[in-house]
Amino acid sequence: MEEYSVIGKRIPRVDGRVKSTGEAKYAADLAMPGMLWCKILRSPYAHARILHIDTSRAERLPGVKAVCTGKDFKGWRWGWMPQTRDEAPLAVDKVRYLAEAVAAVAAVDEDTAEEATDLIKVEYEELPGVFDAEASMQAGAPQIHDYAKGNLSFEFHMDFGDVDKAFRESDLVHEDRFETGRVITGYLEPPAAVALWDSSGITIWAAKQSPYFVYRHLADCFKMPLNKVRVVQPFIGGGFGGTKNDSLAGDFCSVLFSKMTGKPVKFIYSMKEVLMTCRRRHNMIVYNKMGMKKDGTLTAMQSRVIADGGAYTAIGPLTMYLTGSLSTLPYKLPNFRHDAYRIFTNNPISAAMRGHGVTHTRFAAELQMEMMAEQLGIDPLEIRLKNAITAPHETINQVKVHSAGLVEGLKVLAETDNWKNRAGRRKVEGPWSRGVGISGTSYLSGARQRGHQSCAAVVRLCEDGTVDYLTGATDCGQGSDTVLVQIIAEELGLSVECIDIKRVDTATTPCDAGSYGSRVTVLAGEAAKKAAQDLKGQLAKVAAQGWQVAAEKIVFKDRRVFVQGSPEKAMSFDKLAKTACYSGSGAVMIGRGYSDYGLDAYDFEKGSGMPGTSFSFTSQLTDVDVDMETGFVKCKEMIIAHDCGTPLNPINVEAQNQGGAIQGMGQVMYEQFVMKRGQTMNPSLADYKMPLALDIPRIEVIDIITHDPAGPYGAKEASEGSHVSTPPSVAIAIHDATGIWFKEQPITPEKIALALQRKKEKV
Amino acid sequence: MEMRAIKFTLNGKPCEAVVKPWRTLLEMLREDLYLTGPKEGCGEGECGSCTVIMGGKTVNSCLVLAVEADNQEILTIEGLSDGEHLHPIQAAFVNKSGMQCGFCTPGMIMSAKVLLEKTPRPSEAEIKEGIAGNFCRCTGYTKIIESIQAASETGKGGK
Amino acid sequence: MVTFYRRLPRFDYVKPESLSEALGLLKGNKNGGIRVYAGGTDVIPRLKARLLPAPEVLMDLKGLTELNYVEYDKKQGLRIGALAAISSVESHGAVQARFAVLSQGSHSIASTQVRNRGTVVGNICSAVPSADAVPALLCLGATLLCVSPRGERIIDIEDFFAGPRKTILADDELLKEIRIPDMPKGGRGAYIKLSTRSRMELALVGVGAVVAVTDGVFRDVRIGLGAVAPTPMRASRAEEVLRGEKVGEQVIAEAGRLAAAASLPIDDHRASAEYRRLMVEVLVKRAIGQALKA
Repeated sequence: MEEYSVIGKRIPRVDGRVKSTGEAKYAADLAMPGMLWCKILRSPYAHARILHIDTSRAERLPGVKAVCTGKDFKGWRWGWMPQTRDEAPLAVDKVRYLAEAVAAVAAVDEDTAEEATDLIKVEYEELPGVFDAEASMQAGAPQIHDYAKGNLSFEFHMDFGDVDKAFRESDLVHEDRFETGRVITGYLEPPAAVALWDSSGITIWAAKQSPYFVYRHLADCFKMPLNKVRVVQPFIGGGFGGTKNDSLAGDFCSVLFSKMTGKPVKFIYSMKEVLMTCRRRHNMIVYNKMGMKKDGTLTAMQSRVIADGGAYTAIGPLTMYLTGSLSTLPYKLPNFRHDAYRIFTNNPISAAMRGHGVTHTRFAAELQMEMMAEQLGIDPLEIRLKNAITAPHETINQVKVHSAGLVEGLKVLAETDNWKNRAGRRKVEGPWSRGVGISGTSYLSGARQRGHQSCAAVVRLCEDGTVDYLTGATDCGQGSDTVLVQIIAEELGLSVECIDIKRVDTATTPCDAGSYGSRVTVLAGEAAKKAAQDLKGQLAKVAAQGWQVAAEKIVFKDRRVFVQGSPEKAMSFDKLAKTACYSGSGAVMIGRGYSDYGLDAYDFEKGSGMPGTSFSFTSQLTDVDVDMETGFVKCKEMIIAHDCGTPLNPINVEAQNQGGAIQGMGQVMYEQFVMKRGQTMNPSLADYKMPLALDIPRIEVIDIITHDPAGPYGAKEASEGSHVSTPPSVAIAIHDATGIWFKEQPITPEKIALALQRKKEKV
Repeated sequence: MEMRAIKFTLNGKPCEAVVKPWRTLLEMLREDLYLTGPKEGCGEGECGSCTVIMGGKTVNSCLVLAVEADNQEILTIEGLSDGEHLHPIQAAFVNKSGMQCGFCTPGMIMSAKVLLEKTPRPSEAEIKEGIAGNFCRCTGYTKIIESIQAASETGKGGK
Repeated sequence: MVTFYRRLPRFDYVKPESLSEALGLLKGNKNGGIRVYAGGTDVIPRLKARLLPAPEVLMDLKGLTELNYVEYDKKQGLRIGALAAISSVESHGAVQARFAVLSQGSHSIASTQVRNRGTVVGNICSAVPSADAVPALLCLGATLLCVSPRGERIIDIEDFFAGPRKTILADDELLKEIRIPDMPKGGRGAYIKLSTRSRMELALVGVGAVVAVTDGVFRDVRIGLGAVAPTPMRASRAEEVLRGEKVGEQVIAEAGRLAAAASLPIDDHRASAEYRRLMVEVLVKRAIGQALKA
């Protein structure tokens, strides 16, 4: 095990101080002189033709400076793939989900802007809507997009091996229907931005997890060259995928208004607006079929997924791809068929969210494996150990795994008191029944999509030995800034205080694909490492020349530079920096690096190849108490044995796993949008129930170290795994406590109590 | 609908403002006084990100009218640190990484301050009660609780 | 049309300094021209959401500082003034010691921040069927002193609610004081709130129970139910079946069944009527059990 100075150490977050003092500025905190406020008007119908919009009364209200409607964007649409560009900044001819944006107002203050939106008259012709994915697939269902027959948004198929033969030869085959719920990322900061259009082009300070998406969207929408579009990152109040990795009505309207008025324009969404209109996780029905030998060996799996895509495509095709491409992990699976259908409905748009795509099918597969183990009389831990992947491994769809800490993680869980003593604890105390459940999962790091996927880094030396670091990778709270600074500090033998990471600004930071799919530590990290090494090489050359030794013999450590084996040939890093910068007529020392995949080809259509650089493996144990009369569930403890290769910052990795697990707990136990014909009945934090401090279990995070060759210092992703492993772990624990399989999320007290009641009545 | 003139103490200093009756305290702090530490998450008292201390008690400033600040003592996150010196609770959050995106952090720290004033050595259960009205999506609360525990151990958390 | 408002609508603001001034201003008030508020934790969000029409004047009652009190003596019992914040009621020594059902009910409301501002009177006047202070007040036989420019009247808490979010208060009338007689000898109570998570929710079901037992026999029982009918209600039949009976599991179970049968829950996005009714039975049994142990 290599000893690092900074890597692997419990370094506090580099932005911790500004966040603790309130100094950190988020998009809504920004203001500029003469600024106008943008407010969006939205549709009261889930599916309707727009017949006429009359903005005249709004325009006449004193203080209103501009209004716009869909027509003002001249037919421009955006989408994740060229053939799925179906979303417009404001609805043009039709609205397809309730509260879709239809018009907007810019006024001198937000009071006036809100008043003005009330004065806009829109005439609609309401159309019949469809709100259930399976109903939407039926003949005769209302057609939502002209280009999508049968409301089919996207389909994805995989077929590897021979599932039919394998099922015929299996000793046990199960077929079950599972359903994941209607949940949302739940970031606390509503989307906001300040936009300015002036002679330098478009500048927008926006709450974006991946600024380069909106950068490209704005350039395309407003026909501006990329070097005239500037997206500047304030601090971001949470992302978790989805909305903040995409663009919104507010972004386009505020930019347009600034163009029209010459003034800066600001918008802030309300939380209700977020809960009703922003992107959500897909609700998916998973028909899963699994085959096993009687000793528990997996023989085949076949999954059919029906996903409610909502009204537009967004990143849906990638979601569907991910529902199947990683199903051949974390267990050895010799035969697999997958048919996934994303269906349009008149519900709000479904897009990405942490654990993208995998969380739905992993939930189904884990539960089904557990059910079958129970039927075969095989211990749930044993069956997982039996089937677990060990590295190196190549799946039937050519996913190559170079490190896999699943077996080690499961063995750690096997040694816990929670697991060892589970039989003795099952007796009921009062109304409480106790249960424990284990799940295994894998998630990708270094996700790749189509198009530009590289990360880059620029490391600039200042003459006094301090370092500026430019990256396009965004920290939306996950702690990537800290880890990336650690990498640079490690390579240059400095402490993190010597490195200053600049805020992402598309005018100056290098282009980056974005912060999603757990790619930042791995890919931006690789870029950072290379950039630091580049700078180090340049400095080493200067030092080598000075000391008349080979450059390879120069060591950078503890803010000093010295010659290997000749410690008297040493100087401080700062001194070397000064020497280097002032050599000749003055040298500018800049290190550059970029990530390159070096991966085999992957086939997005077939679902084969490497969808990322590497794969985390998470084993989770959840211990619950269930009140058998009210159905109330208390999660008592979660033990998460996760393999992220090696934790570059153990505190951050712990924190992320804790957060991911609690977010997963919310999804499986509390959170659901209650929909009534396209209307969200509970768009408030009181009724869309996310976990609070009083709800959390004791969480223990155990690092399983495996050193993956693909990531910097052996690192892989952390915490998308624990987010995916939590729902099945909890559901299995609830089954252990109640004897009932709950295959639909969320598993609310009501569902539990009524199921127990019905079970009692049957006896 | 006349504007109202109000006088109050803000972060230890006398302050004056002229506000519209329908302006909230949160809006006045953020937009008129440029104290953007208190955040607007939900605007309806459900998330606690707007928590400030008024008259020694935590309140959701999104539900308080600005005019109600008249004659009050108000403390925001900006009033906790003393120049370069962080308040012990802030220092604990930094050292224990009690934040991720940081959006809930100002409100969380204000709730922690009042908790530690009342209960200098709180149990884990008391800490959870103390921050029950402060929502966080990123951290899963564990490191927030550890940060507050660490602050309580300094004995100066309630200062 | 759908606009997601972040701002309050425009209104004027007045803060009377005495009850007589307030009543003077309220004279002739119609159609919410003047809307009163104290803590604002219910009124302000509803105004923002445009669920309440914007008043011409929002009247802040917090200038009536003489109404900010929680007082107890054995003769009068407990008196809670209109401006007493929920946090001051829940933590009051006499309330905690003698009126646990009210202290527990109050504590279960929202968060510290909300309880520091919201008042118990405000919780009642919101008239949400799930208001957590109300089942306790039903159990405690509270009476309400209401005042208007036209005079005073005293109303039983059971007669105060006309429907979801509707009270019998007139447009010019204020609820000035809650009067709670002292607990019966040996009286003990408990409040149980059913929710999906641990906190920050409207009750799916709220049950308050007060019992007084002598020689192992229920001398008196009061059961208050919230969130299972258009208004908070007493489970009178359940109470009757217990009065005069020996304390025992079977009779308590019967009380639970009767309470459930008498409740009128609805299906809504929070829970189904079926679940709520089932939970009334479970929680009435538990609340009585907890009260007996208190």
